[in-house]
Amino acid sequence: MPTSYPTARLTLGQMRRSVGRLTAAGVAIAIGTAFVTVTLLAGGVITRTTYDMVAASYAGADVVVSVDDDQGLAAFDAETVEKVAAVDGVAAVQPVVGYYGDLRNGGKGGYLAFAPVPVEPRLSPLELTDGAWPASGDEVALTTKVAERLGAGIGDTVTLRRTVYPEGWADSRSEDPAAELGEPEEVTEELEVTGLTDDPYGAYAGYGGAAAVTSVTIDAWNADEPSPYLVTELLVALDTPPEGTTVPAGLDDAIHAATAAVAGDVAVKTTQERAEDQTAAQTGGQNLVFLVFVLTFAAIALLVAAMVITNTFQVLVAQRTRTLALLRCIGAGTGQLYRSVLLEAAVLGAIASAAGILAGGVLAQVALLVAPAFDLGVPLPGAITPTWQSVVLPFAVGIGVTVLAALAPARAATRVAPLAALRPADAPTLRARSGRARLVIAILCTLGGFAALGLGVVLGMNGGPQFGLVASVLGGALSFFGVVLSSVLWLPRVAAGLGALVARTGPAARLAVANTLRNPRRTAATSTALLIGVTLVTMMSTGAASARSSGDVMLDEAFPYDLSVAPSDERYLADVHDATAATEGVAATAKVAHAILTVGDVEGLEVTAADPAELARVVNTPDDAERLTEGSILLTQEAAESLSVAAGEPVTVTGPEGSIDLSVVLTASAPLNRTLTSADLARVAGDDTWTDVWAHLGGGDDPTTVLADVQQAVGQVDGSALVMGPAAQAAQFRQVVDVILGIVVGLLAVAVVIALIGVTNTLSLSVIERTRESATLRAIGLSKEQLRGMLAVEGMLIAGVGAVLGVALGLVYGWAGAATALSLMGEVQYAVPWTDVIVVIVVALVAGLLASVVPARAAARTSPVAALAVE
Amino acid sequence: MDTTVYLPVGSSSPAVRARSLTKTYGTGEAAVHALAGVDVDFAAGQFTAIMGPSGSGKSTLMHLLAGLDTATSGQAFLGTTDITRLGDRELTRLRRDRVGFVFQQFNLLPMFTAEQNITLPVELAGGSVDPEWLATLVSTLGLEQRLSHRPAELSGGQQQRVAIARALIAQPDVVFADEPTGNLDSRSGAEVLSFLRRSVRELGRTIIMVTHDPSAAAYADRVVLIADGRIAGDITDPTPESALAGLDALRTLEPAVQTGPVA
Ligand SMILES: Nc1ncnc2c1ncn2[C@@H]1O[C@H](COP(=O)(O)OP(=O)(O)O)[C@@H](O)[C@H]1O
Ligand SMILES: [Mg+2]
Repeated sequence: MPTSYPTARLTLGQMRRSVGRLTAAGVAIAIGTAFVTVTLLAGGVITRTTYDMVAASYAGADVVVSVDDDQGLAAFDAETVEKVAAVDGVAAVQPVVGYYGDLRNGGKGGYLAFAPVPVEPRLSPLELTDGAWPASGDEVALTTKVAERLGAGIGDTVTLRRTVYPEGWADSRSEDPAAELGEPEEVTEELEVTGLTDDPYGAYAGYGGAAAVTSVTIDAWNADEPSPYLVTELLVALDTPPEGTTVPAGLDDAIHAATAAVAGDVAVKTTQERAEDQTAAQTGGQNLVFLVFVLTFAAIALLVAAMVITNTFQVLVAQRTRTLALLRCIGAGTGQLYRSVLLEAAVLGAIASAAGILAGGVLAQVALLVAPAFDLGVPLPGAITPTWQSVVLPFAVGIGVTVLAALAPARAATRVAPLAALRPADAPTLRARSGRARLVIAILCTLGGFAALGLGVVLGMNGGPQFGLVASVLGGALSFFGVVLSSVLWLPRVAAGLGALVARTGPAARLAVANTLRNPRRTAATSTALLIGVTLVTMMSTGAASARSSGDVMLDEAFPYDLSVAPSDERYLADVHDATAATEGVAATAKVAHAILTVGDVEGLEVTAADPAELARVVNTPDDAERLTEGSILLTQEAAESLSVAAGEPVTVTGPEGSIDLSVVLTASAPLNRTLTSADLARVAGDDTWTDVWAHLGGGDDPTTVLADVQQAVGQVDGSALVMGPAAQAAQFRQVVDVILGIVVGLLAVAVVIALIGVTNTLSLSVIERTRESATLRAIGLSKEQLRGMLAVEGMLIAGVGAVLGVALGLVYGWAGAATALSLMGEVQYAVPWTDVIVVIVVALVAGLLASVVPARAAARTSPVAALAVE
Repeated sequence: MDTTVYLPVGSSSPAVRARSLTKTYGTGEAAVHALAGVDVDFAAGQFTAIMGPSGSGKSTLMHLLAGLDTATSGQAFLGTTDITRLGDRELTRLRRDRVGFVFQQFNLLPMFTAEQNITLPVELAGGSVDPEWLATLVSTLGLEQRLSHRPAELSGGQQQRVAIARALIAQPDVVFADEPTGNLDSRSGAEVLSFLRRSVRELGRTIIMVTHDPSAAAYADRVVLIADGRIAGDITDPTPESALAGLDALRTLEPAVQTGPVA
């Protein structure tokens, strides 16, 4: 049989001889397809998790009756609910209602979901585990998690603050409904905890738990809302559960008859059907965004893998020149050789993809098994659900990428002249062919791209961030494409420059540098694969670092303090101040008074006043505060200009108690504009002032925790106070940036890993094709250590060049991105993420070094006798 | 077993000696006795050719004498050093300082110029090139105009001359050459051979050359004949005719021949 397929026989024969060489390339593809597989499986997990949560909320219902219309206004009324309950065969009906409110025990707590006490236990996802269900309007049952968070147990009283809106509020067309209908009223409900519940299927996991109150109570609260909760779903329990996945026709008709009075489309579905529909509706968009986002990174990883494949096949073809020429001599056609290479790629792609899919599946499954150890707050399924897409897609992509990557080498194989068989064998070199078209395209892309990037930055800095971002992203992508395309032309030169420095360290290093440069195309391709990953990683961390420090500076300028507490009434000031000052993590506090006065000839300006020494201790710009003395006022440059005064000149401040001349001190800090001393304020303002407490946090504690603690402490004091924490806000902002950065860098890391495999591959191939040369060197006195050292330097040089250039490019792109996106918010800080940069370069160098270990061992093993062997 | 030790005629102290040297590839049925007990001395300051039919064990003998491969049994001496006892580290040092090689395939490093190729062994050893010696080598080998060229820009004969210079740069005790003319046309071959002879005559070097070509062997001071892994004869001051006769004698499976003037 094989004889009828000469190409296939030839291919398999060639592959058998090159197994080692193909393995590394296969690993690169396998990682890429594993990435795609994991992504698709994760998409499945998200859908599954959503389905589980939706299905959980339907608890043990047999049938779900739902209503829908175009405006989203259709709902079931109480009468209809009763009619449905009266239908023959229906055991119980539970209308789906909810409420969202701020439930607290002292300072602890926050917004959470409320659920009704179920009519019938199997129609509620909540199970009572302790105590009793609430029976009256002042009782509540909490899920264990909520109870823990509130620090409340059975018998304790918790409070719900809600707003009662006058009737007709939502329908009112008036601009100021309060004037017409009366002010909304704040009421506080005291609720006694009567029971604890469990949410075994995680129906409320997404809300962090739930509180149950009687359905009458929940209806009453909803009635006070401007837009009441609409009952669009009824959970129905049947006397006998329906068989199969369809609702029996008789029941369907009966329920439709019972709900005939309701406007809108009524649907009667089994719970499973309904849950599937709802899941599709909920995850459709979200899943797509997730898939596109993550698959972008998978595409980058596959691109890098493709570069590794191209490199490998190029070397294989070069190594087989003699064989190929011989085949041509004995009558092989160019088409046969072309197909032979592509078939080899397809076989490699198929094997590697299959391995990658398997690895991806195992990885995803292991992740699901490990996940419960971390409390993610979401009930994840225990096993992956492979779909045909999650197998076929990565398989097709893996083979496709491998074959595409092999096209150019396959063409190279057809160009081997039959005559080459007759020439003496020499170490094959891949000549960098002129590629004038490539050069022109690369230059156009690079120049055009950087021009667009520059335009984007200019637009971004001048208040047009939307167009700026589009121009920057397109320009950045285009210029990066140009840079990558042209790398074969300039990267070897950079490597030579860097190599010249390295070469001084000894003969082994000199050999290494010379070796790196003898195959410019291969070196360029290998380094470029790494450069892509490193550029993107550096760009992201530079952008994030810039965003972080810009954010810090902007927040410092906007808020001079870490935390402020504004008591609702001057009466509570002393207690609020003491409670704040006593909280752990608060380093210093100051009482800061405010009043509305006339400054110069401008009436109705808010001024700030504090004791200068106290103020200096709490503000983030203490220099400005220290310049404040009795008899002076801090003004920003702009404020001074609008009042037509300069630094040192007097300005008159007038209040109910009189006026005073203060000398102007300029400040750069906007929030300290119009600040004077408490003593001066007392002279003019009289009683008409209100006071805040400003606090400075010690460096050690997490600002978010301190903020919560202050809220708790202030909550214990009589009266209420508004607590604001710019420091916590900054910390949260920083945390969000860090999490996003972590995810993105983690995803990009796959591309970097593949590129590093490419470095090993290139080194191994070089070692294989230089066997005779290594043996010669050994014969003329190169020691094993020197041979290993030579390859180590080669590996580090290839990796180092990619890393260093990647970091440089990444910084440029990161800064350009920051300038475009962040300029709108204020002055952009161009940060260098030193730790990340150093880590990237060190990782690349160490990986280059490690990449050389295996090939070096192979090279050191070859006996010098090989040098004398006639091939 | 043949216990004759083939001694060079009128020799001073031997530069290289083999004693009961054997090399067996494979085991059992498939075992090939590439060398079956070789005893031979090579004099210092002489140009010796090892000649024999293809597969007779010439290359194997040379690899063992040069410490490139390990012997199955027996000893090989370089001067007074028994190289069969040396480890890789010592062998590396030996190759740097005391042995030079010329290969059939030239084996120059394609990315270096002729001059860089020549001086490479000294650099690898961490030493510095003696400029006078380099100049002597370059002029003796006629490479003055070619020093900045890369191997790809040199003819086969020129490449082999660069390889000879590389083998001699560290002033080794002995230079081994395996079929140095095998890849050259006859004119370049003759040129290379006369350079090898000049290196011995004028520069006082010791060269051991493996060849199967009687006319190449005729450039040597002495020819050692080898057949089936054993020394099969010895010709002093060979001529192409005497070398050919010696080789023919081996082919006709005659017993060992001993020609030339017997002292
Ligand atoms: N690595 C090896 N493995 C097995 N047999 C070998 C090996 N090298 C040489 N031989 C065998 O040893 C014998 C001598 O080889 P060699 O010294 O290369 O001969 P020559 O150089 O005289 O042509 C031959 O029969 C050859 O087949
Ligand atoms: Mg041989």
